[in-house]
Amino acid sequence: MEKAVMEGPRSIGQSAGHVEGPAKVTGRARYSADITLPGMLWGRALRSSFPHARIVSIDLSAARRVPGVHAVISGADLPEVRIGRFLRDIPVLARDRVRFIGEKVVAVAAETPDAADEALSLVDVEYEELPAVFDPIEAMAPDAPLIHEHPERYEHPPIPPIGGESRYHPFANVCSQSIYRRGDLAQGMATAERIFEHTFVVPPVHQGYIEPHACAAAIGPDGKIDIWISNKTPFIARRQLAAAFGVPEERVRVNPTSIGGDFGGKGSLMDSALCYFLARASRRPVRMVMNYTEELTAGNPRHSGVISLRTGVTRDGTIIAHQAKLIFNCGAYGAFIPLHFLHGSVHSAAGPYRIPHIEIESLRVYTNTVPRGHFRSPGAPQTTFAVESHMDMIAGELGMDPLEFRLRNVLVEGDESAMGERFHHIRCGETLTAAADAAKWNSPKPPNVGRGIGIYERAPGAFGTSGATLSLDRDGKLILITGAADTGTGSFTVLAQVVAEELQAPLADVIVCQGDTDTAEWEEGAGGSRLTHMAGRATLIAASEMKRALIELAARHFNCTSEQVQMRARRFIASDGRELDWKSLVAWAAEHEALPLTRSGSYVAAGHPDVTCYVAQVAEVEVDRETGQVRVRRMVSAHDVGTVINPLTHQGQIEGGLVQGLGQAMSEHLLLRDGAVTTAHLGDYKLPTAMDIPELTTVLVESQTGPGPFAGKSIGELSNVPPPAAIANAVFDAVGVRLTDLPITAEKIYTALRAMEKRN
Amino acid sequence: MNAFTYIEPATIEEALATLVRHGEEAKLIAGGTGLVNLMKQRLVNPGCVVSLRRLAGLADVNLDDGKNLLIGALCTHRTLESSPIVREHAPLLAEAARRVATIRIRTMATLGGAVVHADPNQDLPPALIALDARVKLRSPKGEREVPIDQFFTGYYETVTQPDEIVTGIAIPPSARTTGSAYLKFLPQTADDYATVSVAARVALNNGTIADARVALGAAASTPLHARVVEDALRGQAPTRKTLEQAAALVGAIVDPIADFRGSVPYKRDMAIVFVRRALGDAIAAAGGAVI
Repeated sequence: MEKAVMEGPRSIGQSAGHVEGPAKVTGRARYSADITLPGMLWGRALRSSFPHARIVSIDLSAARRVPGVHAVISGADLPEVRIGRFLRDIPVLARDRVRFIGEKVVAVAAETPDAADEALSLVDVEYEELPAVFDPIEAMAPDAPLIHEHPERYEHPPIPPIGGESRYHPFANVCSQSIYRRGDLAQGMATAERIFEHTFVVPPVHQGYIEPHACAAAIGPDGKIDIWISNKTPFIARRQLAAAFGVPEERVRVNPTSIGGDFGGKGSLMDSALCYFLARASRRPVRMVMNYTEELTAGNPRHSGVISLRTGVTRDGTIIAHQAKLIFNCGAYGAFIPLHFLHGSVHSAAGPYRIPHIEIESLRVYTNTVPRGHFRSPGAPQTTFAVESHMDMIAGELGMDPLEFRLRNVLVEGDESAMGERFHHIRCGETLTAAADAAKWNSPKPPNVGRGIGIYERAPGAFGTSGATLSLDRDGKLILITGAADTGTGSFTVLAQVVAEELQAPLADVIVCQGDTDTAEWEEGAGGSRLTHMAGRATLIAASEMKRALIELAARHFNCTSEQVQMRARRFIASDGRELDWKSLVAWAAEHEALPLTRSGSYVAAGHPDVTCYVAQVAEVEVDRETGQVRVRRMVSAHDVGTVINPLTHQGQIEGGLVQGLGQAMSEHLLLRDGAVTTAHLGDYKLPTAMDIPELTTVLVESQTGPGPFAGKSIGELSNVPPPAAIANAVFDAVGVRLTDLPITAEKIYTALRAMEKRN
Repeated sequence: MNAFTYIEPATIEEALATLVRHGEEAKLIAGGTGLVNLMKQRLVNPGCVVSLRRLAGLADVNLDDGKNLLIGALCTHRTLESSPIVREHAPLLAEAARRVATIRIRTMATLGGAVVHADPNQDLPPALIALDARVKLRSPKGEREVPIDQFFTGYYETVTQPDEIVTGIAIPPSARTTGSAYLKFLPQTADDYATVSVAARVALNNGTIADARVALGAAASTPLHARVVEDALRGQAPTRKTLEQAAALVGAIVDPIADFRGSVPYKRDMAIVFVRRALGDAIAAAGGAVI
């Protein structure tokens, strides 16, 4: 742990605005859709209008005759490769069959988007419809149509399963299954005095980033392939692209671009492999930009699913045993997640509770619907809605206050988590209490007003390798080259603050550049709440090395040993009292051929972190009994945090996440009918607006215990998780209506209230 | 979007001549908030887009000698919501305009566009029906006026002929003891089309309802004039029971579509609730009280 003994202005703890912010708000920032190269063409794709069909024939001849069209390709024109983040099951263009409405079948490169679209309108595809299945439970039935005939042929195939055994042999459209056990579930349930069982339904939702997926591809005369892509993990994208193109990785360069929001949805190749094949076919650079209808109908929204929970408790409200069965709809392809299974669904299925006997089974099932992907704390929002609603329902049945029930069961120092982790500095109860206190949990409420609580735990990301390169230039500025993309979270700013802090430099003297994959150090990239921790650590190593090098330079100048030199407030001070300021040292170094001075850092995770983060939220709602309309009056978000490196961007993460969670609680629903997304534009897919945001109180329960630089923790994937449960619990508290499916619409509450009136 | 020619006539006569010349190929554009979306989705593919932006005087707001409020077709929603004349003489229209979409849309979208677009989910048409507005149309043959509740003929359809341009609306003066309310039910997000919307205007006379106007949006294939509710109110004392009974009558005439904003039975029930609430608010605005 760093000693926070510093002199001069501190950068850590400064509310610095995003370093790349001015470029973004003045339109100078370059996004993938802005890439323009000489001779560049527009790429567009024709998508399937059938959920499941055999492609009988494709006639491209009329499309090829459209003026301005330079290439028209179908799956038959491509090598037989499939792409994916882990499981590689999605073809670049459909071959022989389509598996969802929106699957790409034919692609065109043309001089204008209109010419491309006109060409696509002239493509004649003959389909033979196949039986389709849209519901994951129906898809697992023995007579369900098989969506993939030979899944075992895919790279990282869905079978054999994780967890040792399969209950789904032969293959029954189960893309992945994960079974986690601890203790003895049967014995635990046998000793329980009460057993509660509830089932919850969660819909698909879209990440809602402002920037739709975009990419560009250009092939150099030397065969070098340049790719621009709105992707949060450029190095991993390069690996996947090289595999898709059948070339060595060094032939592919992924170039930095600004990213207009990611929220977990920008980890795939999306159209970029296709864009390359269009560039190859047309011998021109090609750009592809999805429109928002394509995003909503054929992006990679969050997994929908059905979650069944069964929990055994003692009469006094102690949880003994807990069983979770999670059946997620992964759509037609499993390619959009970077692991075999939806990790967060398993991890959050037992919540932050002390439970001796557990069984969790999490499935992803293929259906003929839009493929599902990752979305901010993947798996956890769905699962936490179920778990935290379930906990309230149990507390209610036992006649206990929901807060008291949780406080009785949450982990305390010394406990092992349900997942077998041993965390230190566990402050779960403290965080819950902080949220409840700020919300005045026990204060009187007007009629039809209710309060609900929800809690979630997530450890800082600690996986992969991060790298950083730091150079000192002749002006005395520090230039940090990172391979990480800033997806809009403020990671560049945090990295700059780490450099500034370590080298006692003004933040304005640190310049952050995203390097391309040829020039930057390997960087695993954004995801899993890892960047502040991992890239922050790598950056701190580079900055510490730079500091050591500067002290050595000063020692050369003073003609003494480096032990005899100290750096204090940007001055180098020898033990005999001689001093040199930063500028003079840089000038001296330039004269003595010591510039440019470059130091690198690389950081590899040392295993799972031994600390974690909690978020507890209280929602206060008011229900209009005549209409069922819910107004969220206010929300409290309490966070167990480490050193807050940048209070402004930290708060931005909390508020942004909370509003995202609010949208998923109240209005967002990617509706599907017979496999077709019917909420196909942002007029129908309802994201919350500024006017919908309730009064928000944030409580930070601070400590200097994080694994990141200067004892920071993660914040990006916490506040978005509990809102649906907290709001659903508050609605129950207000009017006695329990909703077990999202979103919480006025009509559902209205219908339930009218049914209650009839019963009484 | 498909390619098209763009024409900006300088006078209304020139605009009308352009319409005649291009026939069905031509589409008029004002703020563009409706047409451009339809063109982007290729639901409408005009060969020629005729802009009204250069036509002088079509954005004016005036009172004539008979205290009729005359508003030009190019007047934006933003002007409707902020104009002192509109706020004084047709506060219902100002309130409905304020509830439209976002300030970015309201700055572009025009009154004429909102009328001729004939989207039954929009906010201005119910308010205009409740205000007894008349739509002014001009063609090469001359001018005519159509009462707004006879203007809409179907989903996105009006009585406007291919050679006609909507030039404005006229709103007759209201009695001094009149109050109005516009309620837009937005249970999902604040930026949405209404699940149901209700415009109500009530004139009181010695403690009874002298006259009433009730119109609904998002309740049928056209903006809906609820005459049956008005008939039940005329001459009645404004009791809670009267309002409830009158509002309940709207249930038989609404014909909403089921969508993600609600099922048909829910929208019908909400139409009844919001008609009652809007009448209550209008009575309060008229200085009365529901007893």
